[in-house]
Amino acid sequence: MNADTGSFSEYILKLENVVKTFDGFTALHQTSMIIPGRMVFGLLGPNGAGKTTLLRLITGLISPTAGKLTMFGGMEPGSSEARARIGYMPQSLAIYPNLSVEENMLFFGRMYGMEEEALKTRIDEVLETIELTGRRHDILANLSGGMVRRALLGTTLVHRPKLLLLDEPTAGVDPVLRIKIWETLRKLCDEGTSILITTHHISEADRCDRVVFLRSGSIIGDGTPEELTRKYQADDLEKAFVLATREEAVV
Amino acid sequence: MRSVWVAVRVIREISRDRRTLAFFFLAPLVVMTLVYYAIKDDQIVKIGVVTRGAARFFEMDFINTLEMDKDVRMISMPIPDEETDPQTLDRLIRQELAIGGVDGVLYMGEKMITDRFDGREGTLHLYVEGSKPIITSAVFGAIADAMDELAASLPVVIDSSCSSLCADSVNNKPMVLEKHYSYGSDDYRMVDFFLPVLPAFFVFFFTFILSTITFQRERLRGTLERLLVAPVGFYQVIAGYVMGFFTFASLQSIIVVTYILKLIQFDFTWSQTLAFSVVVLLTMLVALNLGLLASFLAHNEFQALQFIPLVILPQIFLADIIWDINGFPMFFRIIAWALPLTHANAAARDIMIRNNPLSNSWMELLILAGFIVVVFTAMTLVAKKKDKSI
Repeated sequence: MNADTGSFSEYILKLENVVKTFDGFTALHQTSMIIPGRMVFGLLGPNGAGKTTLLRLITGLISPTAGKLTMFGGMEPGSSEARARIGYMPQSLAIYPNLSVEENMLFFGRMYGMEEEALKTRIDEVLETIELTGRRHDILANLSGGMVRRALLGTTLVHRPKLLLLDEPTAGVDPVLRIKIWETLRKLCDEGTSILITTHHISEADRCDRVVFLRSGSIIGDGTPEELTRKYQADDLEKAFVLATREEAVV
Repeated sequence: MRSVWVAVRVIREISRDRRTLAFFFLAPLVVMTLVYYAIKDDQIVKIGVVTRGAARFFEMDFINTLEMDKDVRMISMPIPDEETDPQTLDRLIRQELAIGGVDGVLYMGEKMITDRFDGREGTLHLYVEGSKPIITSAVFGAIADAMDELAASLPVVIDSSCSSLCADSVNNKPMVLEKHYSYGSDDYRMVDFFLPVLPAFFVFFFTFILSTITFQRERLRGTLERLLVAPVGFYQVIAGYVMGFFTFASLQSIIVVTYILKLIQFDFTWSQTLAFSVVVLLTMLVALNLGLLASFLAHNEFQALQFIPLVILPQIFLADIIWDINGFPMFFRIIAWALPLTHANAAARDIMIRNNPLSNSWMELLILAGFIVVVFTAMTLVAKKKDKSI
């Protein structure tokens, strides 16, 4: 079953029969979907469902075995134009612990070729957003885990990405910080950033504008959380996911 | 009982890591083998004998006497018999020492024989290359051991006016041994030979460790992946690493070289220092690329750590740092040739001890450059295989 491929004149991401295999193992079965911009789009599925594979395909870190993937109205993933528009936050704390918050942000901003003046102004803005202005000169190794995760998000935002790819951004994060991160994401979305987020937490998916259910490399459901709940006549998204899984098994 | 289960778990876990097991059991054997060959025998030395005039009659006696020492190999000197000009002979002998055909040359001229007949000590000339103290002292040792025998092989003088009672007329004075050094002198010490290779060794050692560990962390932490998602190429990242490490390796070289020069109180010219820096820079680039290669080959930091002794230990024994590689079997000599520090050390000594220009070491520099290309290519191939995004 494929996601709704209804036409959107301005899509952020378009997958046409994309397949990805690793040494004979199919991590992503033939998948087609269009992800429109300016929304928080959730990829929900258990571990090994193909979420990270899909994310890495979008970043251009890996290429599809078959099919076509285009972004921002026709750009190839991995092209320098597409890469400049993406902000990627992996699951790991991919940030330099011996640099300060600001030094990390400066480094990643420079990697995206930002002008120094614009970069400094932007860092001030991002520090406000992630609420680390007062700790900007602190070395990450001296910060709490939650602060480091916020700093990581900050380094992802510094070059004003059009599309934010977040791989399990709230994994292992306490509830207070989780709420804060979601507030930040919602604010970014309102300002025009498209967000693609992978999660295996139902409560996270509930906060998305649109959700795709992934299981064993296949899309088994697609819609807003309300649509999906309604479609499977479930009380909540969790039950909808379970029912979608069963239906797929029957098919 | 719980401790037993912990032990079982430890044994099970380690026994599944084949690389660690091989390292654990094989590394000591390799090191012991290297130590064995490094210190097994006295140094074998190649000695040639050149005689002129009446001394020619005693050449075979000299050769036979020296050959009794099992650590001496006699070499036939490729110097024309008819050549008698002392200056040309001196030049030809030094030339043969420079190319390494022979480690020491005993020269005995006509005067030596006439001096002995006249009841004087007589002077035996010993030529050595001089830049390798182990070889030099082995040559001196072999000659010193044989001096009495050599003197005995010379004609005994009988005073015709004396009866058989005056045995004192036999010339039993010890011969004078005059040493001629191509490089160095009697003051040249082991440390003078050893220290000039240390900067290259330290730069190699620390650059390799630093690059292995930092790049391994860059990969495991996911920051490399983030850089590759940003509009940054893999080669740009590598170039950045080279520049970053170059800063530290240069500083380290300056500190080490300055300290060593103070320590051994050698006067080095600026051109020597500059030439030496080129060798150290090339060594650093080899080490950096090797470190990156090791970090891609390793699955985790533990495995990355294992590469350190694997790469460093053979070079300590085989790269001509302390022990002369010619004392090792052919198998190790081939390995030694494939080690970057062998060539870096050869170039460093040529520049610092023999005061030769950089161009004299062009072959070593070319080989080091070759190492950089080969290791860089291997690193890129392994990186692409391990990480499809590169």
